[in-house]
Amino acid sequence: MRALTLVVLAGAAFASPALAQSTPNAQNLPVTGRVPQLCSLQQGTITPGGLNNIAGLDGDTLRIIQFTDPSTLSVRAASATISFDAVCNFPHSVRIESQNNGMWPVDGRVSDRPQGFAYAVPYTADISWGPVNTQFSADAKVRSTSQQVIVINDPVAGEFSLRIRIEDGASNVETRAPLVAGTYVDTVRIFLEPR
Amino acid sequence: MTRSLITLIALAALALPVSAQAQSRDTDTKTVNIVGTAPVMCFAGTLSGTGSYDLGVLIDTTSGQLRSDLSAPAQVLVGSFCTGRSTITVSATPLEAQNFTATPPSGFARRVDYTATASGWTVTPASYQTAAASNTAATQSRPTSFSGDVTVAISGFATTGGQNLRLVADGDYRGLVTVTIAAVN
Repeated sequence: MRALTLVVLAGAAFASPALAQSTPNAQNLPVTGRVPQLCSLQQGTITPGGLNNIAGLDGDTLRIIQFTDPSTLSVRAASATISFDAVCNFPHSVRIESQNNGMWPVDGRVSDRPQGFAYAVPYTADISWGPVNTQFSADAKVRSTSQQVIVINDPVAGEFSLRIRIEDGASNVETRAPLVAGTYVDTVRIFLEPR
Repeated sequence: MTRSLITLIALAALALPVSAQAQSRDTDTKTVNIVGTAPVMCFAGTLSGTGSYDLGVLIDTTSGQLRSDLSAPAQVLVGSFCTGRSTITVSATPLEAQNFTATPPSGFARRVDYTATASGWTVTPASYQTAAASNTAATQSRPTSFSGDVTVAISGFATTGGQNLRLVADGDYRGLVTVTIAAVN
């Protein structure tokens, strides 16, 4: 009889540690991912109402309707604003590059430069991107690649706006100088890239 | 020799009660109660596979926005059990950029919300939405003991603040899903 009582007490003594095992039991599952550095510039579109003396955007080409005034042969004003959906999800820089530093004859002839005539056409490019509004000038003084770099300290997403503008009478010599006949071109490149 | 001695002792023990009974009454009864307690024990199983969710690259590398096809294989808590009534609770924290800790600039976010679901334990799976202010379905009850596997899945990914926002670059986005199986006393 006494021995039996002891056995029951021992059973009660075991119950306490066993109850402690009924505490909540949990599992943790980490979730991971990564976002790589990204700069993306989509195909440009002409901003409505942003054209002056330019036919439009044909692929990547802006074609000026009437480059010179038929009576004075000096350059006529022209402008276009192009918008690009863009994103850079990290601090970055914008680099704008003019291949020719202005509009120059496509055939590259340099011997035909009669006195008083212009043989290259300067233009400006206004850039609006996130916190930055700046102007790049292709002054057509020398035919060479020119560029400007703008540092942006934050990620930016939205509209990258580029306004190309040729002033009335623009010339690489005197203002309103008549322009030597030819087809004038330049290529503007925009880079969104790491700083 | 040893066996003989034990036998003798046993016989002596039997002889004593008979002698005692003869001195009082011929019948007596005693009740002995035997009580044992089996506590409710719960075990949240063993994680199968990696025990984590690696979503890889979170964004569409053209638009910079959250990928619409994000997914990760479900994880299984193998051999979970509870020996009595229980609850299963799932909770989760959003995926969050670990290095870019500043407030993101306009147009950007640094968090991704999602829904974590634990199914197999209860009829209605326990689920938790990291974007929700309250999660009434996060805890589900089971009235009986159970042993089996619990499948834990994540889905419904969304950029915190709106799907049009882009995620800031960061090589380390992290969140955590926690599944708890608890006894109900």
